[in-house]
Amino acid sequence: MKHFIYLTNTRVVSLVSQRRHIVARREFAVSGAGAAAFEMYLANLKDVPTHLFTDLAEEDFRLDTIPHVGARDREAILARKLAQIFRNTPYRHALLQGREPEGRRDDRVFYTAITNPELLRPWLEMMEKMRVPLAGIYSAAVFSAVLLEELDLLFAHAMLVTFTPGDAMRQSYFRDREIKFSRLTPIDLEEGQSLGTMIAEETTRTWQYLDSLRNFGPDDRLEVCILVHPSERRLVEPELRDFAQLQYRVLDIEQVALKLGLKPTPLDSTAEEVMVHLFLLRRAENHFAAEEVRRHSILRGARMALGAAAGLVLAASIGWAGWNLAPALKATEAELRTAAQVNALDREQNEIIKSLPSFGVGGTTMRDAVAFYNTAIRGFPTLPEFLAPISEALRGHPSMRLTQIAWIATDDAKATPKLTRSQGKDAPPVRAVGKSSDPAGPAAQEDPPNPPFSGGRYQVALLEGSLRVNASDFRGATAEVERLAEDIARLTGFRADVVEGPLDVSPTKQLQGRLTERAPATMETRFVLRVVRQKEVAQ
Amino acid sequence: MTQVFTRSGLFALRTQIILLAAAIAAGAAVVLGSRLYADKERRESADAGQRLQEARGRLDSARRERDLLAQSSDVFRALTERGLLHGEQRMDLVELVNLLRSRHQLAALDYDIAPQRPLQFAGGRYFASIDVLASRVKLRARALHEGDLLGFIDDLTRTPQGFYPVDKCVIRRVEAAADTIQPRVEAECTLEWVTLREKRGAARG
Repeated sequence: MKHFIYLTNTRVVSLVSQRRHIVARREFAVSGAGAAAFEMYLANLKDVPTHLFTDLAEEDFRLDTIPHVGARDREAILARKLAQIFRNTPYRHALLQGREPEGRRDDRVFYTAITNPELLRPWLEMMEKMRVPLAGIYSAAVFSAVLLEELDLLFAHAMLVTFTPGDAMRQSYFRDREIKFSRLTPIDLEEGQSLGTMIAEETTRTWQYLDSLRNFGPDDRLEVCILVHPSERRLVEPELRDFAQLQYRVLDIEQVALKLGLKPTPLDSTAEEVMVHLFLLRRAENHFAAEEVRRHSILRGARMALGAAAGLVLAASIGWAGWNLAPALKATEAELRTAAQVNALDREQNEIIKSLPSFGVGGTTMRDAVAFYNTAIRGFPTLPEFLAPISEALRGHPSMRLTQIAWIATDDAKATPKLTRSQGKDAPPVRAVGKSSDPAGPAAQEDPPNPPFSGGRYQVALLEGSLRVNASDFRGATAEVERLAEDIARLTGFRADVVEGPLDVSPTKQLQGRLTERAPATMETRFVLRVVRQKEVAQ
Repeated sequence: MTQVFTRSGLFALRTQIILLAAAIAAGAAVVLGSRLYADKERRESADAGQRLQEARGRLDSARRERDLLAQSSDVFRALTERGLLHGEQRMDLVELVNLLRSRHQLAALDYDIAPQRPLQFAGGRYFASIDVLASRVKLRARALHEGDLLGFIDDLTRTPQGFYPVDKCVIRRVEAAADTIQPRVEAECTLEWVTLREKRGAARG
């Protein structure tokens, strides 16, 4: 919401806008009860940002040029010039209008001021008392250039004629879209004079004045644009006579309002609603209000900026927190799902554990015990099982008799058990002597104090036996022993070798014979077999 | 803006300045808090993943153990019934040897039980949850017939109490006068009396 105060010499108009539309209009007299009523009215709008438009006869205008200098120096020059020209008023303003085309190309300046500050004082005091946030004081004449631009009335020489509340007519002259002059004339019609003839006379008079100031060349023509309500247009238009240096253009205020988007359209020819609407479209810079006058507006702006900054900080932090927490919240959901999964897995694990048979020991203990049993104990060979098939083989050799068995269960296929040689009766007359091939020689098994436990992959046995044959039938005895070895080797998993035969006839041995007259008819020969049985590998 | 940065201007704006300061503090707290919370959630999320992996591992272990136990529970039951985990009961062995000697009518029986020791395995095999203990037993027996000796050895290895794998044996004939009742065969055998002991700290099921 914004509050616009349009001040003329006789009337003060209050216009309230909301969302770029004028929503309320009140008009007061500037003196007496009108001012008091306005003060009461203003109290209701004291917190609304306020803009003050002045359309006063006591507004003076000057043209000047100053050297083109830097911004700070220019400001100092303009301040000094304004103080020199309008020394009695603080409501003054300098408008830079570009540079001269020739010479030093000085800056062109348009000075304006409200020469009688007393006209503003009561209103500003009223606003100060109520701490009204006054954003600026604007010259309606200076601001009216915007109207010509918005209506595309872009002439080299244009004069805008508007009417102000309180029956006054303002004529503002623009050269190349820059304001050069403005004057306010009260509408005080003489006997027999109509508004149209008054406008024609006043505009002609202004043209003559401007022409006397050499504003026009021989071929220049002043375009006079008159903003009037349709109700007055038919009264004005017939009185206007164009001539070579001056041409009239009557602007229907309703059509202008429609073009500018001002709704509802003004009810009369006064231009304050059009000006305020233009201000809502194209905000202008402050003209007359010093910072001290705008203090409450500046503080209000600062308050709003601080509030907005606080809100922005909070919103940004909340936004950042939200952006930061969004994945965390997703992670929380995932975590909840994970926790549910963990619980389900743990429940299943507990059910499995409950269902396990309990033997009072750990599962790994049970596993190791069973593994030990399966690999080391179960299937460990036994001597009776080893001897049973050999006994079967011996049935086919009735002349043979086992005298000694040395058996071991081992994992070493080359191991040989220890065997003590037996002495037989009826020893053969011929025998090998010397270093014998001791079957329990280097590989013979002693019993160490802490032997490692074997898996019993092999069973190795030395079978010592005797064979009774006819005297000196060593060939027959040897063949019989070899047959026995072959019979044993045919058994599944068995291997048999003759370690000692009935007579060792190898050339490396010494051979002794003792033949007597009373030799027995038979002899008992000795032999040793080495039998190895390999454990069957379980399929 | 010079109106703002005066004592009166700042005083007039004190509420908004305090609000802005509070908003900055609150915003910083919100940012910091959300950061800490997000970090905590990230850590917990990572922990949750690890917990899930651990739970899966535990379940897999339980399943494996269940499968293992399904296969080996009968065997283990038989082992425990044979006293494999009950430690050495030497009195039982003494009585068992006496019983078997009588049953197989051995003429003489000498035996020697060595002190119990941790059993070494070929290849350095190791069991994580059990100690394998063994006492080496040496037997020297005499009998009229080798069948008695073999029966004695067979019964000893097949006894329902304990494990006595015989790994070495020598059986030889003993010369004796004919027509006399004297031992005609003798045996020297060595066996391991094996027992198991659950290691301290082994996982209990």
